[in-house]
Amino acid sequence: MKVTFTINGESKTVETDGDNPLLWVIRDTLDLKGTKFGCGKAACGACTIHVDGEAVRSCSFAAKYAEGKNITTIEGLGNKDNPHPVQQAWIEEIVPQCGYCQPGFMMATAAMLSKNPNPTDEDIDKKIINVCRCGTYYRMRKAIKKAAELTTNSPINS
Amino acid sequence: MAEKKKLSRRKFIVRTLLGGTGVLLGATYLGRNTLRRGFYDLMDDPSMLTYMGDTENPVIWFQISNDNVVTLHSPKVEMGQGTFTGMAQMAADELEIDVDNIQVVHAATSTGNIDQMSTGGSTSIAGFWQPLRELSATMREMIKIEGAKKLELDVSQVKATNGTVSGGGKTLTYGEVVDGVTEWEIPDVPALKDPNDYKYVGKPVPRVDLVDKVVGAPIFGMDGEFPNMLFGAVARPSKIGAKFISADTSKAQGMPGVVKIVEEVDFVGVVAKSMIEAENAKNAISVKWNTDKSWETEDIENLIQVGNGNDMIIQKEGSSGWESDAKEVDQFYSAEYSSPIGAHAQIEPNGAVAIVENDTATLMISTQVVKITRSEVAKRLGLDEEQVNIVPTFLGGGFGRRLHTPHAVQVAVMSKAVNAPVKCFFNRKEEFQNDTFRPPTHHVMKAQVNDEGVITALQHDFASGDVAIDSALVPGFAHTIVGTDIGAIRGGQIQYRNIENVRAISWHVELPFATSWWRSLGLLANTFAIESFMDELAIKKDKDPIQMRLDYIQNDEAGKRLRKVIEVAREKGGYANTANGNRAMGFAASTDAGTPCAHVVEVLVENNEIKVEKVTCVIDPGFAVNPDQVKAQCEGSIIMGMSASLYEKMYVEKSELRPTIYGPYKMALMRHAPKEINVEIINGTGTPGAVGEPPLGPIAAAIANAVFRITGKRLRQMPLSLA
Amino acid sequence: MKLAAGRITIQTETMKPNKLFIPFAAIIFLGSAVFASNLLKTPSEVIPIIKEDIKVVDLSSDEAFHKMMDVLTHQRCVNCHPNDNIPKQGEDRHPHRFGITRSNSAGMAATNCNTCHQDSNNNNSGVPGAPEWSLAPPEMQWEGLDRYEIAASMKDRSKNGNRSLEDLMHHLTEHELVLWAWEPGVDAEGNPRELPPVSKEEYIAAVKEWIEAGAKIPAKN
Repeated sequence: MKVTFTINGESKTVETDGDNPLLWVIRDTLDLKGTKFGCGKAACGACTIHVDGEAVRSCSFAAKYAEGKNITTIEGLGNKDNPHPVQQAWIEEIVPQCGYCQPGFMMATAAMLSKNPNPTDEDIDKKIINVCRCGTYYRMRKAIKKAAELTTNSPINS
Repeated sequence: MAEKKKLSRRKFIVRTLLGGTGVLLGATYLGRNTLRRGFYDLMDDPSMLTYMGDTENPVIWFQISNDNVVTLHSPKVEMGQGTFTGMAQMAADELEIDVDNIQVVHAATSTGNIDQMSTGGSTSIAGFWQPLRELSATMREMIKIEGAKKLELDVSQVKATNGTVSGGGKTLTYGEVVDGVTEWEIPDVPALKDPNDYKYVGKPVPRVDLVDKVVGAPIFGMDGEFPNMLFGAVARPSKIGAKFISADTSKAQGMPGVVKIVEEVDFVGVVAKSMIEAENAKNAISVKWNTDKSWETEDIENLIQVGNGNDMIIQKEGSSGWESDAKEVDQFYSAEYSSPIGAHAQIEPNGAVAIVENDTATLMISTQVVKITRSEVAKRLGLDEEQVNIVPTFLGGGFGRRLHTPHAVQVAVMSKAVNAPVKCFFNRKEEFQNDTFRPPTHHVMKAQVNDEGVITALQHDFASGDVAIDSALVPGFAHTIVGTDIGAIRGGQIQYRNIENVRAISWHVELPFATSWWRSLGLLANTFAIESFMDELAIKKDKDPIQMRLDYIQNDEAGKRLRKVIEVAREKGGYANTANGNRAMGFAASTDAGTPCAHVVEVLVENNEIKVEKVTCVIDPGFAVNPDQVKAQCEGSIIMGMSASLYEKMYVEKSELRPTIYGPYKMALMRHAPKEINVEIINGTGTPGAVGEPPLGPIAAAIANAVFRITGKRLRQMPLSLA
Repeated sequence: MKLAAGRITIQTETMKPNKLFIPFAAIIFLGSAVFASNLLKTPSEVIPIIKEDIKVVDLSSDEAFHKMMDVLTHQRCVNCHPNDNIPKQGEDRHPHRFGITRSNSAGMAATNCNTCHQDSNNNNSGVPGAPEWSLAPPEMQWEGLDRYEIAASMKDRSKNGNRSLEDLMHHLTEHELVLWAWEPGVDAEGNPRELPPVSKEEYIAAVKEWIEAGAKIPAKN
């Protein structure tokens, strides 16, 4: 089937089986590799994207549901020259180690901050439930708080 | 070859870069033959097990472009440990160039810069400390020589600073110097700079891969792509010991997107037009596997018992035995500990992207064993090794899981079968059921204490499955020479050598499934047993657990460094030996690969749940090339170690290793991680040593020791649980 | 190996890891013959389809009640009517993995129900889905209640979303999230979830019968 949606500000129409995970459409059809495959079971969160501003695990999101939606991936969150406050905070705290899970965490964080600009530790514990094997949680928590500070001066739109 | 001087230990060559925009500089650095020295030395001198390069032929290390960027081809892979950053710092300082002008890439095997070993064992920075600085300094001198020629000055009249050669009022960038140079003079290796003069080494330079990893750049094996690429999937067994017999592929034939079913003697796979079509078709294949017997968790537990398998004394100090010398007044203590099967659970699944055509093969892959992977692919395809180019990528986690990556062979075979590039990855269930697990362990600790309360003998017996034995990395004869498993015994020796009699005995047990290297190897479980038992003895004898340890540390160089980290941890962590309500501190220390590390943990027990609130970690890595990344490795090791200590456990049911997904395989999440981790670094020797694994050692014991103070319950099994 | 005989020992029992727990109750469905290739089946292959016509017979109100409650006390229903704000999962009703609680309800970005659960089951990931996937409201706690207590709670307008009996009947027999129980999809390993013990048609008939007869809750035996 044909599915049309906006991704990172661009309108795209793709031909795909409607039940295909949107993850593979993003990675293999649209060649946006920042959204990662970790488990395919919506358990690890490495494939987290935004669909109409809400965090969604794209391995468990059928492509047909993308019709008419506004989608943001890590590539659309920000870039090297103009990083999103969450990415900026991640850079300042030197968070990544292997780096593979990090886009998913940043997408989840950006979604959280858009609804809850000043999360408490408890909010972070409950809302950021992706899996990181290198154990960067300690720095991520610092980066999330820093991102919240940075966001105060630059509202998130994604 | 432009050599003017014969160097005794290293050679350089220069090749013009394709397109003539720069040069590639090659060099050999004589690898040290590990087998010439005792295997036990490896545990104390990590640089010994780090790098073995080509000793005959020059290989490519540096590439300098006209825009003054130095590309450093690293034969070690970056899996998060920060090695690329440390290498860039070392190279920048000796090359006299801004670290931002250094780009570190994985050396493809076509560069010739191939590590005969692996990336692992926390040895990359330690091992490259001397050779990389020497190579960089030599290259700086070569650039100065050529720069002087272009400036029509004597080399003594020019200086190299900030990526330029200047003299006589004129300045050339390195890029300008190397442009067009085809003949190079090779000087002797110059004297290295005084470490105090380094601008980058020893400083918290941000990771060189930081921005790429924050913007989601396609840098991982799974991101690899060739034009017109197809997607593969290989049927993998879910049961222990299953061998491929045959497959009924009739249902998969003709499924949407299927290009070809590839059936070989040892595996069956599908090549399709998309990842999901390949996966769906693979799942429609009915595979006949041969399994010899059925296994349950209990069978594995019965195997992993001290007393089973091959025993070997790996530490024996003191002349007298136990019973023979015992006096009536002596007291004996003993306790048993155990650890479960652990999964690597790295987030990027294993796999590869391959293109095989015209008697050449190119593979992009996340691997810790570039050389072995090339050999295996070449052998299977019937090619010379030089016809196979392995292009390593950033690893989405290594932790030892990628110290054997034979799946590269399957991807190459499928690519050859369809005459097109193929990408193929494991699914998560396949990852969990085909892991090379951390082996389960069983430990028996014994102590003899005299009437003055002095420990006169301490013995650690421990049983473990394979770590090094049977791995692709260590030659089969090695363990015959050594007599035991050099991985399983990590941390198994007793570091309190002032105790009159110490013994450590390893019991090697063969398990029916693959176990292998898991970050820190035997260290976590061995330290759990030894350091928990030391705590038990201190409590039994009413001694301060830290002071008691200090009393038994020998006074040599290693002992002094261990003593220091313990003393600093006591002070910085503000160690208190008694519980405060449902909170208490726990202490433990270990030495791994020459690096001593001590933790003071603060634990809260609430509703029988163990929560680690704060960790004070003191580590002496010898010298921290990048203190920030040393801290990052400590933080990561603490959280990964805590996760294994409190939550992780694989079990066996009807021959299947389970669970098969995150969640049921419980791991530390954001809410479990300590909210405070303070890392204190001691530069005890001035030379970098191991960092990535030593801080894992003490964590389980430290937590268990704290839990005892709160609850009075001594937890002797990992994962630690009060429920 | 013989260990030195201790005169005083701290610990004498043999150390063995804990008895295993079974995280997926659903693994009981695992076929033993073919175990390599059952990850991604389509629902039609794995979900039993009830083909025979169900004859709706007149039931007494009590019989209808029990038939209805056989369904409503099943984990397919109770898992999302928790008494501790923690959704349950699986046939063994274990707490939802990853520490999910009511604070992750829909509308709360990162991470909420709809981060993973969409409008239909996802047979690739094994994540179940239906329109309005969410926890029942806090006042609709069924977990820990017996069938009589659940029924009383259902009838109580302060606990049923202020529904009249007729509204209740429509909700119980027409709402897609309720009827999802008969199309629960497959789990993460591709194994079908357990269906309620009564067919959908019989259940609907029983609900209607019970409500039309006055929604009387029988006395506990």
